[in-house]
Amino acid sequence: MAIKGIRDKVAIIGVDSTKYGELWDKNQYDLLFEAVQGATKDAGITKDEIEASWVGIFYYFTGLSGAMIEDVLRLDGKPSTRTENFCASGMDAFRNASFAIASGAYDVVLACGVEKLMDQGSSGLPGSTLFGHPLYPTPSAPAMFSLAATRCFHEFGWTKEDLARVAVKNHDNGSYHPKAHFRRKITLEQAMKAPMIADPLGRFDCCAMSDGSAALILTRPELAESYAHADDYILVKANAISCRTIFPWYVPPNGPGADFTSFPSTVKAAEYAYKEAGITNPRQEIDAAEVHDCFTITELINDQDLQFCDRGMAAEELKNGTFNWDGETAVNPSGGLKSFGHPIGSTGCRMLQEIAKQLQGRAEGRQVPDAKIGLCHNLGGAFSVASITVLGQRE
Amino acid sequence: MIGIKAYGAYLPKYLLPRELIGKAWEFPMVPGTKAIASADEDSLTMSVEAGLDCLTGIDPKTIDGLFFASTTQVYTEKDSASLIATVLDMREDIITNDFTDSLKSGTSAIARAIDTIKANKDVKSILVIAADTREPEPSTMWEYGFADGAAALLVADEDSLPISIEDYYSVSANVTGPWKRTKEDAFIRTFEVKMDAKFYIENITKVMSEILKRNNLTPEDIDVAAYYYNNPRTHARVSKMMKFNQGVAQNGLFFQVGDTGTPMPFMLLISALRRPKEDAKVILAGFGDGADAIFMKIQDRNALRGLSKSRMGIFGSQKSMIAIENYNRFLDYKEYLEKDRYTRESSAVTIWRDTASVYKWYGVKCKICGTIQYPDMFRSCYVCRADDQMERVKLSLKGTIFTFTLDHLVGGTYLDIPVPRCVIDLDGGGRVLLNMTEIEKPEENVKIGMRVELTFRKEHEGAEFKNYYWKCRPERGRK
Repeated sequence: MAIKGIRDKVAIIGVDSTKYGELWDKNQYDLLFEAVQGATKDAGITKDEIEASWVGIFYYFTGLSGAMIEDVLRLDGKPSTRTENFCASGMDAFRNASFAIASGAYDVVLACGVEKLMDQGSSGLPGSTLFGHPLYPTPSAPAMFSLAATRCFHEFGWTKEDLARVAVKNHDNGSYHPKAHFRRKITLEQAMKAPMIADPLGRFDCCAMSDGSAALILTRPELAESYAHADDYILVKANAISCRTIFPWYVPPNGPGADFTSFPSTVKAAEYAYKEAGITNPRQEIDAAEVHDCFTITELINDQDLQFCDRGMAAEELKNGTFNWDGETAVNPSGGLKSFGHPIGSTGCRMLQEIAKQLQGRAEGRQVPDAKIGLCHNLGGAFSVASITVLGQRE
Repeated sequence: MIGIKAYGAYLPKYLLPRELIGKAWEFPMVPGTKAIASADEDSLTMSVEAGLDCLTGIDPKTIDGLFFASTTQVYTEKDSASLIATVLDMREDIITNDFTDSLKSGTSAIARAIDTIKANKDVKSILVIAADTREPEPSTMWEYGFADGAAALLVADEDSLPISIEDYYSVSANVTGPWKRTKEDAFIRTFEVKMDAKFYIENITKVMSEILKRNNLTPEDIDVAAYYYNNPRTHARVSKMMKFNQGVAQNGLFFQVGDTGTPMPFMLLISALRRPKEDAKVILAGFGDGADAIFMKIQDRNALRGLSKSRMGIFGSQKSMIAIENYNRFLDYKEYLEKDRYTRESSAVTIWRDTASVYKWYGVKCKICGTIQYPDMFRSCYVCRADDQMERVKLSLKGTIFTFTLDHLVGGTYLDIPVPRCVIDLDGGGRVLLNMTEIEKPEENVKIGMRVELTFRKEHEGAEFKNYYWKCRPERGRK
């Protein structure tokens, strides 16, 4: 049975995000309020026009339920739901909000995400012991992805320098973005000489701990013309997620993803998303992509799994400029997680609002020239959940 | 006949040069080294090692009991024998007991194993494992001697055995010699070492003389005397008093390994069994609040040679030991330094439910596609997606690293940063993720394709109990 999908059934009419960074003087409610207020303002609506909300939050200490929306917005008891799906939590809020619109249940909904990580201290994501089992090893997030890096070095001959190039490119892009956590360019040497976090990933191979929030207002395309972005609202061309095991290190050698050089969740989500969006040549058709770069190795492998280049070639293509903001497929023109940090629940929404603005020609940092089709991608857990949204300009 | 069917031993990887102790406290120098357990080892984990070595080529399901002997058991309520037997994958309808509180509890456990086998027609074999992780008070002379290790002897009743047990004899002696109060003392104390030495000499010579007399033997008849000692000089004095021939009293371990306590007589015996003499007569003796002597005869030299070749024993362990270079590492391993350690939540319920996976080291095999997988957590196959087609399979304790990382961010309670986290393809199937312990310079030495052995170790102290699990280590040569 063919999956029907939501292509052209959902329009984005307002977006915004907070500045990302170590926002010591703000709590999660401040951040969410600021992002949502920005998005409603962008859409030209009041908060009372929001009929239902979905908020992406990963960690319990940021918020435990959708009820947080009520405290932030005082919507007088309107429905709201927390979504939590590893690093795709924010994009899953968007996914659920999109379904609510596509189903016709609501006319105007809010999709948003927030995470307040810095209140927990800055040395790595908390709670790697929370996966449940008391005895099985619990690698840190960088350690999980390093397992793939070690294997890619072995299989493809990639080096520390290849990884460093991802960091240099993304920090270069981020240096132009007023809302980025880090706005300084770095050199290859700096990236390669940074202290180790999880061999072979050093400090510049890892995205930072950060606070932030982002929000989007959605409606049906036929209603979109009655709002502020009547001429340049954005259409959802595809939304797909794929879930694979939470424990990739137990996948037997003949099972999916056992080679640690590809993320089978990204491969599958891309397959779903490209089919829904009608994309046959992603490298040529996608102009701007926000690709999950929690670690430099993640971006390289995702570039391949998203079919932006051939297997084993991502490092070479990056070196040749394919993924630069003005290259064939701009990857992370905003600066990515490398520049923004990764307040988990918010990241998907931040990417979506970033790409929406790219397609509207009003990107806050690097504007990709003539961007018409954009893609956002999250990869969460230990390669467990991939979420992809393809966005396009209005017809 | 009742006798010894097999033996096994374990010495930890690290040696502490006595010179480092001397330097640390400005003590008179004493030559040699002593064996020290890693931070993630205790008497229980070392017993698993000795037990695995002993059961090489022997089906653990055929053993009818396990006796654990130690003065450094990890719990005072809750035994260790039942957990060791579980990890060794023995049956449940067996006898398990701990023998504790005295350094002679190893030889006492052998005597009780003999009695049990004689008294109960259903009990044909008992695995006796002795282990100690001895804790000297820093800056005392105890530090030069006290060492860590484990040794196992499989006592069995079979038609032919490599060694027969002919007789045993025990004495009891109450003396306030070395002691450690349950609540008040962190370390062993004593009142007067000269009195301790007197009682040691009196008791150990008394049991050995008596066992000779009971069996109409003269000291010249004895080929191997493996008796506990904590000082090379008193050892020599006992040998002289007993009138043993030159080379009969086993003294080859103290210089390198130290005084391992309860397992020490076993270790001396196992060392001597590498080059067995035809029909040799052997005395094994332990001391502590009395003494035990066990008289044995070598029945089958070829069988003993086979055991020696197929097991690590003492020699195999010794070959792969290395000296540490810093005294502070010893303080850290013994947890004498207070520091914040990484910890985790735990659940006795989860661990009990997952006994087969986490202790006995079983995986599952899909009956449809044949893929072996770990852990036994899911009912649907990773590869062919068939539901409810899994059957339990025993996994190998050896494998090859497929990929790895060195985690600087999240540690382990008893592991040094960076922690190598290794994806391992086990020999014969099953892919697992394990932390690596006992690796020098991981940046240089952990590699894809590296061969590893599994070792049962302390993981953390979540929920205020001992959480154990398997780790991997560079091969030490366990068969």
